[in-house]
Parts: sequence; C-alpha cells; structure tokens
Amino acid sequence: MNYPFWEIPFLGSGWVIGIIAIFHVMISQFAVGGGLYLPMAERKAMRIADPDLRAAWMKQIASHSKFFLILTGVFGTVSGVGIWFAIGLTHPEATSTLIHNFVFGWAMEWVFFLVELTTVAVYYYTWDRIDEKLHLKVGWVYAGASAATLIIINGILAFMLTPGDTWLAVAGTGHEASKFWTAFFNPTYWPSLLLRTCVCCSLAGVWALITSSQSDSDKQPALKTSTVQWSVRWLVPSFVAIPFLMIWYYMMVPSSQQALLTLGIDTINAGTFSIVTRMALVIIVTSATIVGVAYYLAYRNPLDFNLSHAMAVLLLALIATGAGEYSREMLRKPYVIGHWMYSNGVRVPNVERINREGYLANSEWVWNNSASSYSRGEAIFRGECGSCHTMDGYRPMRQLLSGRDRVNIGAMVTMLHDNKLDSPYRRFMPPMAGTQQDINDLTDFLNVKVNPPASSGQVPVQTAQK
Amino acid sequence: MTSKTITSNVYDWVDERLGLSEIAAFARHKSVPVHAQSFWYYWGGISLFLFLVQCFTGVLLLVYYRPGADAFESVRQITFVMHFGWLIRSAHSWSANLMIFAILVHMFSVFFMKAYRKPREFGWLSGMALLGIASVFGFSGYLLPMDELSYFATKVGLEIPMAIPWIGPIIANMLRGGPEVSEFTVQRFFALHVVVLPALFLPLLGFHLWLVQRHGNALPPSEEAKPARECKSMPFMPNFLRKDLAMWLISLNILALLASVFPWSLGKQYDALAPAPMGIHPEWYFMSPFEMLKILGAFLPGAIGEITGILLFTLGIVLWILIPFYDANKESGKRARIAHYFGLLAIVALLSTTLIGYWTIR
Repeated sequence: MNYPFWEIPFLGSGWVIGIIAIFHVMISQFAVGGGLYLPMAERKAMRIADPDLRAAWMKQIASHSKFFLILTGVFGTVSGVGIWFAIGLTHPEATSTLIHNFVFGWAMEWVFFLVELTTVAVYYYTWDRIDEKLHLKVGWVYAGASAATLIIINGILAFMLTPGDTWLAVAGTGHEASKFWTAFFNPTYWPSLLLRTCVCCSLAGVWALITSSQSDSDKQPALKTSTVQWSVRWLVPSFVAIPFLMIWYYMMVPSSQQALLTLGIDTINAGTFSIVTRMALVIIVTSATIVGVAYYLAYRNPLDFNLSHAMAVLLLALIATGAGEYSREMLRKPYVIGHWMYSNGVRVPNVERINREGYLANSEWVWNNSASSYSRGEAIFRGECGSCHTMDGYRPMRQLLSGRDRVNIGAMVTMLHDNKLDSPYRRFMPPMAGTQQDINDLTDFLNVKVNPPASSGQVPVQTAQK
Repeated sequence: MTSKTITSNVYDWVDERLGLSEIAAFARHKSVPVHAQSFWYYWGGISLFLFLVQCFTGVLLLVYYRPGADAFESVRQITFVMHFGWLIRSAHSWSANLMIFAILVHMFSVFFMKAYRKPREFGWLSGMALLGIASVFGFSGYLLPMDELSYFATKVGLEIPMAIPWIGPIIANMLRGGPEVSEFTVQRFFALHVVVLPALFLPLLGFHLWLVQRHGNALPPSEEAKPARECKSMPFMPNFLRKDLAMWLISLNILALLASVFPWSLGKQYDALAPAPMGIHPEWYFMSPFEMLKILGAFLPGAIGEITGILLFTLGIVLWILIPFYDANKESGKRARIAHYFGLLAIVALLSTTLIGYWTIR
C-alpha cells in the first residue's frame, strides 16, 4: 500500500469500497426496516387474544431482536466505519467534498446513529424487565432514529449522482455549504428515499423469515403460520411500488447517465461498459424469484417453509441488493460527484488547467519528480486510472490493451485526452487530463506493462512511490 | 357466464378427451420419500430444466447462426451486435455446462443411493446414454463459434479417436469432413448438434422419465433398512412438485447470474495456418480423460500409450455402466461395498485428474 494513494493489486481499490459498502448496505437497510418490524411485531403480539400464541410471538420477537442486535450493532457498525476508511484512502477528494458540504448532515446522522445504538441495546436487554408499553416505546424510538439515518444518508448518496444545478452553480466558490438544502433535496432524493424505504421493508421481512422459519411446524403450527405469513407481507408493498419507483428514479437521472443503462443491450465487448445493463437483468430476475418463492413457498405453505428455503430467499435478496448498489455506483460514471468531479478525483473545471500545467504539478495525492518517463507515467496511472483499473485483475489494463503496440496505446491515450463528443469512452470514462508530456509518460508506462521490456526495449527505472 | 364457469367448461371439454382427471388423480396418489438424502432427488429435475433452457435458447440462436464459412461472423453478430444476443448465447453455453454438472451430480447420487438396482436397471442405462449424448452435444456445440480456442480444441479432441487402430482415422475423417477441421466440419457438427443428437436425446429422455414415473424414487440403503412405519413421504402433487419448481427457479437465478456477470465471450477468428495458442485444453467435463491420457502417455510414449489409455478408459466406463448387474439387489452384501468403493474411486480419479489438468495448463 502506498499511502496516501491506495493501490490494491488485482482487486482494485474501488472494489474494496464496493465489497465493504455492499455488505454494509445489506445490514444497514435491515437495521432500518427491521427497526420498524420489531415494534410493529410487538404491537401485533400485544393485541393477540390467545395467551399461548401471544407468549410464543413475544418469545419469537425477543429471539429475533437478539439476532438483530448482533447483526446490526456489530457487523453494521464495523462495516460503516470501514467505508469511511476505504473512501478516505481511495477517493480523498470526493470524501473531502462530501464532508465539507454536508458537515451538518453528518453531525445529525451521528446523533441519530448514537440514539440507534443505545435504544437497540436498551430494547433487547429490557425484555420482561420493564413495562410492556414502555418497552414498545423504546422500539418506536429506535425505529424513528434508524429511519432518520436513512433520510439523511440518502440525501448525500443521491447528491453524488445528481447534485443539481443550484449547487453546481456555486461549486468551487467556497460557498457550497450555503446550498446545503438544495444539494440535499436534489432531483433523485425522493425516488431514491422511497426506493430505499421499500428495500428496507423487504429486507426486514426476508431476515424475519430466517427466524420464523425455524419454529417447529409440528409443535407450534399456529405460531409458524402467523409469523411466516406476517413476515411475507413486508415484501408486498415493495414489490408493488418498486417498478414504479424505479421508473421515477430513472426519469430523474440525467440523460447521459440513463444512456449507461442501455450500453449492454447489444454487446458485451470489452471496454464497452455493459455491466450496468447486465446488473439490471440480475436485479429483475432475482426480485421476481423472491416474489414467487415468498408467495408460493412461504405464504401459501408456511408449515413447509424451512430454514434452507429462508436462506435461499435471503441469498437472492442479498444478490438483488448488491446488484442494485453496484448499478447505482456505476450509474454515476464518469463522475463520482455528478458533473463536478470525475471518478478519478479530477474536478471537471480543473481539466483545462491540468492540460496546460500537467497532472503531477496539480495533484495533491501523487508526487513524482523523476526524470524517468516510465516513473512519471506510473504516477499518472495511479492518480488518473487506478481508481477504476488494475493491471491484471479488475478492468485489467494488460488485457484491455493487449495486441496494441506503443503507437496504438498512444493513440488510445490521446483519444481519452481529447475526449471528443463522438468518443465512445466519453460516456463512462473521465478524460485523461494532462499535457502532451503526460500523454507520452502514461503511454510509455502502459507500453512497458503491456509489451514487456524485452520486446519494447525499455527498462522500468523506478516506481512512483515517494 | 362467469370466467370460472368458462374455465370449468373448457377443462371438462379437454378432460373428456384427454383424461386429465386420471392424470391428476395419479399424481395425487404418487408420493416421494422424505429423508436426510431427499435433496439429491431434485438433481434430475434440475438437469431437465437446464435442458429445456437449452432448447429454448438454442432455437433462438438457430435463427441467426449460419454454419459453414460464415459461422464466426454470425456468432460475432449475435454476441456483439444483436440486442440481447449475448444473453441468449451466454444462457445457452452456461446452461449446457450446468446441465452436464447437474447430470453428473444426479448420476453419482443415483449410484450412491443404489438406485440402479432391480427394477431400475433401464433407468440407469438410459441415464448413462443421456449423459453420453449430452457430452457429444457439448463437444459438437463447442466448435460452432469457430473461434481460435474452439477450433484448436476440436482439432486436438479429434486426434484422440485417431489413435484407435484401423477405424480411428476413418471415424475422425468422417467427423471432420476431410483431413482437417474446416467449415465442412462445422456443417457436420451443426447437423449433429441440432438434428441427430436431439432426435436421439428426446425419445430417450421420454423413456427415462417414464421409468422414473413407473418405479418412483428409490430409497437409499439406510432408509430401506428402517421399518415401514418410520419412513416418511410427501405427496408428489403439490408438495414435491412445488419444491421441484423452486429448485428450477434457483437454477434459473444461478444461470442468470452467471450469464450476466460472466457473459460468454468470443475469441479471435480461427486461422488454420497459425500455430495453436498456448493453453489449449478441452472443456472441463473432458479434462479428466484428456489428463489421464496425458499421464499414461508419459509412461508409455507413442501409439501404445494412446491405445492403452483409450482401452483402459473404455473399460472403466463399461464397468460403470454394468454396475446394476454386479450389485443387483439389497442382498448383494460384499458386492455392494465393492461397488461403493468403485464409486468413490471414480470421484477421486475424476476430480484429481481434472484438477491436475487445469493446474498443468496454467
């Protein structure tokens, strides 16, 4: 690792964020949906007339809340902190922008997060120790706090895709925070919030199926039937609303980003960025399957519904959620903050200056004063390409450029630099910002990597580490 | 007239002519054993589902595929030009591989549950024939894109029958349509893939499924030993069918995931004059025999090694096919144990040679 610029061989630093973030989203969205599920289930149990069934429900909810506490309180929080570490190392510029622009938002989020952590612990440890109604109120406080974290974080995540014209007008002036609320309630805020709320409710139902599927069908048929069917109902609103919300969300996304969704319809050629389309297909298939399995296997036949069925539904839900998050991230390309900052951390208005003065002279994160073209090229590669490409693993340069000689590689880099309107890469790749010397340096570096020194006649001199 | 009445009238009309009620009554009375190994009962159904996917996607590919000199260009268009052509092709290729995997799992589960014993010998034999045809489906389909890898892999594959004395070259030339793999070979493989093999496979599959219906699911020896009152079962309709369909859905999801995340790509167009690229190897389900021949060739170089290898491999397959006649019923005793060890040996040999094969081509 070469701090402050993070190079992860094979996997790529972007995937480090991706893996932690997808894992975190699966749990944190359960924390929000499950936060609502627990007090609603408890309230339902309190209204059950049959004392035996009521007691069984309460026992089941208590057991579920223990599972909930461990999963969200341990894995959710640890992975949340992990995201901060990862984005700080991979995207220091973007992280800095988010912190400076939304400092008040982050502060609010942390307050609600602390309330969340406290109340979930109180909720679990006070089962049968405090009055039932008070216990239920603790559950409602938790539900409110966890919903508040979603309401806040959604604004920041949606901002990254669609910061809005008002914020973009002041971006770079030092007055960005003055447009906090317009940046927060950006064009995709509401569809995104409602979509995430639906996903949270679905995940609450799916995770609850894990607990309810373990009830003994022979000994407690009434409990199993009622809890399994009630958990399945949590999926219903989502699957009615999500198709419409997706269309709304899609309509609010800029047309340049909408186009990314269609790139994979007719090709899978390397370098054509067809992954968003392919991920969308995965979401459709897995979501449709969850509906089918939840209805036919769980709702219609709750007594036959066992843990392995519940695990299969959970796995599908996790795949759908992961594919959804991955697609959302990819939909931002070529930006990390829409129309303001490219995915390699270069600010859109800075491209012209970098083209005049050179990339290394303007980069705060990679340094290189070497006389070696190869070495400078490596530094430029780390700064401009490394957040999306690796040499041999994810989006591998050696494979993408294989068969090209130095002239061809140079033409490719020049095309990325010129970033003309008809360039096919313009839709999903940032321009290569830099002077003619930078273009030559990057070309030299890539040529040595793609065509080994024996054939290219060049010997790597040194790396770009400081 | 309400829609319910219309449906009922239509059902009665069809029932009167086709006897649907009798089929439904039969399905309701049919039951499936429930025990710790019930999971393995689903693999036959999964194989069937994947075959149906291949029929569906195969027909769609057939619309645009052009065998012969245009083969590569047509596959290139399907993969890189036509809307969702890549998806259909990926689903076809992945389902083919998954089907062979599912058939192998099904075969070994049948073997270890002793489901080949009396009266299920024909079920075993027809199943083995289906696996054999599925392998040829795979081999013939692999060449059809005519890219560099498929061309050279087929070339190497067709050199194996060449080692058989006298008739080997005749068979190889007949398959190739000449002394070299060429567009004539593609024509022949195409005819084999879409006409000859389906014509053999479909009736055999029907026979196999009829046998499954006739004899029902076999109990593994551990369950057979239990008293009847301790044995559990579930109705085929709707309980088992529902679970079977759920497994189909899971298979569909795995297939969709693989086809979307790892779409089946296309290599460079073949060049018969170019040297074979590094790392040419057969598909994974042929890797084991390929590696066994390689290992034997190291000890017995030349034609002797190849012939010995083919003979040994053929002997192993023949013994495997004839196992129902060796371990014929539950009173087999020592023979049952030997058959069991034979199965374990087969798994170890297949896995180890496949792994060695992939390790050595790295």
